[in-house]
Amino acid sequence: MAFQILLNIVLAYLWMFIKVSFDPVSFVKGYLFGLVVIFVLRRFFRSRFYLFRIWSFIKLTLIFLKELLLSNIAIVKIVLKPKLTMHPGIFALQTNLTKDWQITLLSSLITLTPGTLVIDISEDNRTLFVHAMDIGEVQDEISGIKNTFEKAILEVSR
Amino acid sequence: MRQPNNMILETALKLLLFFIVLFSIYIFTAGHYYPGGGFIGGLMTAGAIVLLLITYDIKTVQKILPVDYRIVTAIGLLFSIGTSAGALFFNVPFLTHVFTHVEVPVLGDLALHTATIFDLGVYFVVIGVTMTIILTIGEDE
Repeated sequence: MAFQILLNIVLAYLWMFIKVSFDPVSFVKGYLFGLVVIFVLRRFFRSRFYLFRIWSFIKLTLIFLKELLLSNIAIVKIVLKPKLTMHPGIFALQTNLTKDWQITLLSSLITLTPGTLVIDISEDNRTLFVHAMDIGEVQDEISGIKNTFEKAILEVSR
Repeated sequence: MRQPNNMILETALKLLLFFIVLFSIYIFTAGHYYPGGGFIGGLMTAGAIVLLLITYDIKTVQKILPVDYRIVTAIGLLFSIGTSAGALFFNVPFLTHVFTHVEVPVLGDLALHTATIFDLGVYFVVIGVTMTIILTIGEDE
């Protein structure tokens, strides 16, 4: 992905040198033409065409914002209840992510959504220990996290 | 005693360290027209190194930055004294600063001031002193 972006910038500079006009407008033009060229020849690269990855990153951000809103509403409901009926607890979450930045991103997203909080990671980076404010059905929590965040992060790094 | 797994902290630091150091350099260069300057910039750079020390241990940080901070302090003092004493060669009082406008081909108009070099000395002294204090406290066995 980084190589594709670098190649695109180099192509934009090549365009500027061909046109002998060194201003931002011709840089943007060259960047767009380079984007088209890279898109047509995208099967040369081992990774995906990089605009798809940027699009999946935007999707991850939108999923995070949606989760943030929903879980905030759930926490407000728990707080405003006259009776204290919540059951805090800690559960282990097996993760399929391998790279360091993926696990860091996943744990940051879990921590930033209210109600769940990453406490620790196991030695082999395969298990996250998550504290939940209201532990209803553990299996539901795990599958919820897996289906939203983990899938989106895998989509970004594909 | 189980060692905690610092993976999240290390990964976050790999990204954040560069942002902190770049911002400290901005604070250092903005000191003439905006709030900032050598002292606060040096403290912020030292803070970035302290963040490294918190994440890794002292030996690893010595590998990453093989710097003797006492020498850094000395270099900073030399810069400050040198820019101050340079005024004596031109028959003007001690600590007189000069500034000029220089036309550089690509960068355009640069206002160069000898107070910047004085401030660079302050920057180095602050980094050297802060890191010397922290390392000598941290290293006692």
